[in-house]
Amino acid sequence: MAWNRVAVVGAGLIKFGELFDQSYEQMSQGAFRAACDSVDKGFDPAQVDAVFVATQRGTLWGQEGIAGNTVPSAIGLAGIPCTRIENACPSGSDAFRVGAMAVASGVHDIVLVIGVEKMRDKSAEEGLLARAAAGHPILTRGETAPVLFAPFATRHMHEFGTTREMLASVAVKNHYNGARDPYAHFRNEITIEDVIASPPVCTPLHLLDCCPQTDGASAVLLVNTERAGEFTDRAVYVAGFGVATDHPYLHEKSTFTSLTTTVLAAERAYEMAGIGPSDIDSAEVHDCFTITEILDIEDLGFFEKGKGGIASLEGETSLTGPIPINTSGGLLAKGHPIGATGVAQITECWWQLRGQAEERQVETRNGYALQHNVGGRGSGVSVVNILTTNRS
Amino acid sequence: MTPDTDVSATVRPVGPAQIAAVGFAFGDLRLAAGAVAQGWGRGGGRGITSVCAHDEDVLTLSAEAAHQALDHAGVDPATVDGLWWGTTRPPFAEGPSHSVLAAALGLSDRSAGALVSGSTHAGMDALLAAADAIGAGSARTALVVVADTLRPGPGTAFEARAGAGAAAIVLTADGGAAALGSRVTRTRPLLDRYRGDGEATTRDIYDPRMFREQIFLPAIREVAEQLAALSPRAWSLPDPDGRMGPLVAKQLGVADALTSQLVFATVGDCGAAAALIGGIAGLDAPGVVAIVGFGGGRTTGVTITASAPVPGAAGLSAALAAGTEIDYPAALRARGDLVAAGETVPMGVPPQSAMFVRGAYEMLGLLAARCVDCGTFNTPPSIHPVCLSCGGSKFDAVELSRRGIVHTFVINQTMPAPFVAPLPIAVIDLDDGARIMTQVIGDGHDLSIDTRVELVLRRYARERGVPVYGLKARALEPAAKE
Repeated sequence: MAWNRVAVVGAGLIKFGELFDQSYEQMSQGAFRAACDSVDKGFDPAQVDAVFVATQRGTLWGQEGIAGNTVPSAIGLAGIPCTRIENACPSGSDAFRVGAMAVASGVHDIVLVIGVEKMRDKSAEEGLLARAAAGHPILTRGETAPVLFAPFATRHMHEFGTTREMLASVAVKNHYNGARDPYAHFRNEITIEDVIASPPVCTPLHLLDCCPQTDGASAVLLVNTERAGEFTDRAVYVAGFGVATDHPYLHEKSTFTSLTTTVLAAERAYEMAGIGPSDIDSAEVHDCFTITEILDIEDLGFFEKGKGGIASLEGETSLTGPIPINTSGGLLAKGHPIGATGVAQITECWWQLRGQAEERQVETRNGYALQHNVGGRGSGVSVVNILTTNRS
Repeated sequence: MTPDTDVSATVRPVGPAQIAAVGFAFGDLRLAAGAVAQGWGRGGGRGITSVCAHDEDVLTLSAEAAHQALDHAGVDPATVDGLWWGTTRPPFAEGPSHSVLAAALGLSDRSAGALVSGSTHAGMDALLAAADAIGAGSARTALVVVADTLRPGPGTAFEARAGAGAAAIVLTADGGAAALGSRVTRTRPLLDRYRGDGEATTRDIYDPRMFREQIFLPAIREVAEQLAALSPRAWSLPDPDGRMGPLVAKQLGVADALTSQLVFATVGDCGAAAALIGGIAGLDAPGVVAIVGFGGGRTTGVTITASAPVPGAAGLSAALAAGTEIDYPAALRARGDLVAAGETVPMGVPPQSAMFVRGAYEMLGLLAARCVDCGTFNTPPSIHPVCLSCGGSKFDAVELSRRGIVHTFVINQTMPAPFVAPLPIAVIDLDDGARIMTQVIGDGHDLSIDTRVELVLRRYARERGVPVYGLKARALEPAAKE
């Protein structure tokens, strides 16, 4: 029996990309307006009781002081309660989970969850790459984001015979989907040869194995299920969620072929929703790198451990495959504005479950969509949210 | 001056110091004199010099040489009474050079010794100061490390000869394979190569002919002639230009015994370390070795009498022949003379901050907290108040193995300055069962899963003038697989 105490009645995002012409505040307002406009029966912004904001890293644009009062002011709701959630790459999906709990608790009836991230105001060198010098001066020296995932690719290839072509097929499929998503950062199709021929970034990962740095914002509106009918007759419900943590440093990992946080978070979410992996119609998963998606689809239970690479190469995760993955283009093509990513994934799940995904629409047999992020130092945190159209 | 105080003209016994073992290390890179000449649009040039890789410096070479010597001697670093370190290039002009090296070597926090600097004569000063400590009874085991990473002025004749190397000697009160014999010193207040206060590079000799005739040949010959009376089988003589060393040897009639010549030809002039490295070259067999060191107007000669091959000495020729040949621009980059314009990314944790105080030993060494209850290694200890595996909070402090195999790895090609790509990073399963992750030396071409590696000290960064050291993995040659 799914949890279903909270309904998603609106969702939207702004087009992701290098939004040099938009401020953090303008992006926030754009996403909020898109969510409000998506509500079937109309939505007055003043109805929002509280806001949960996901922004992972203000240092990426030199403004770490951003706090829970920035967004309400930007979207014309100054005065209402607002809390900023920072939980690494799952910040957006965790803000969604916390927002859902706030509604389910009965404290708030209508909650706005909004993810916003400005990643391209600074140069790449002073932005995300600067983390090479952050953290522990010896233990993590040189540890840019790919260093957290590429060791898993090396080991997965060694243990299971996963190939560069299999990794590349993930990027090819997600770019194919992204080309069909008007909100995606990159809307061009690519080939396996393109991926393999792209410059090495962190061996064995090449440029097109890696998600871009993207500005973006996305917002969803959560209401108590009892009140969902005021806003829509086609509500999508929060069936369940799970969060898990792990030790933060890579030398503390016991395995390099699985992200154990994903396994734990998924177990908890499936149990709460009362379903299993085979009930999921489509999933938005954390493909910061091609190897990450291969790990995800195994760790989430869609494929046996070690089979994620060949499944990807053989099209089992395509729009028409048995389990379509990252129909939005994923982080690889749609982009990864960190705080916004999870919320935008929820938005894609919402569209898929409501049949609004246009060219990307997949068959929804069971009425369940799954959203997943994993991140933090050493993939030390993962969040899984499951949405459903099934009222009970 | 009374006759009895005029000791410098007299050969005197050094004292009771014995040599238990030796070690040495050279910069990873090799630069041919011809490549330097080409860089300046000139022809010619003979010989090769060793150059430090970007993450090596005088302290990392010193640590490597010292570890070898201690290993060959079978001496536990914690029992060493003092470190006598001679170099013209301590990593701090003023700062904790000696204490950082002592900690990196695992010496006791009660160890004594001295850092001797000021000229290339510092190597001889360090040796004799350590020998004097043993003679005086204030030390029973003394570690002597002599090292230099000379930085010549670009475009000078000296540039093609300035090398990077280190030698280490474990001195003991008794029981060594060799003994220090005699010593003699001459001193005159004259300039040879020098570096003024605050100057970055060593200035070349002002007038080579004047230097040779008026300074070098008289001083070296006078000291060497006194040692020649002891009929050494091998000689180490200074050689500032590739000709003067052999010339003195020829004048003394010992040209065939000049073991230092190969050292100068293959790794260049290693400054304060040059004399002892040339001497170690003669310690692979029994007999008397004569060593003459020179610098800052001072010349000292020492004899060593080996009763058996000295442990560690035999590996020198292989080390001289190792190294990766590079072109001139690569040498300039490695030396820090060719630097890209623009900003560098600052270290998130400044070296002056409290985290470096808390982590002082665990960053330089390989310390772990082993859980008393379940045996799990928790590393580094300061960030693990409870056990990763069982949550226990009782630990034994242990030092981890320095060898292991690669479990998985990456090669990072995309980093902002000051990082140098490609940078391999590996997860390593150590022989004692602990797992660590660390940077790997080199470009990663020799890495694969299950590659055997050893851990050695390297410079991770130079931040706000502070060299930051830590251990990196180095792939072992297949032949070294155990």
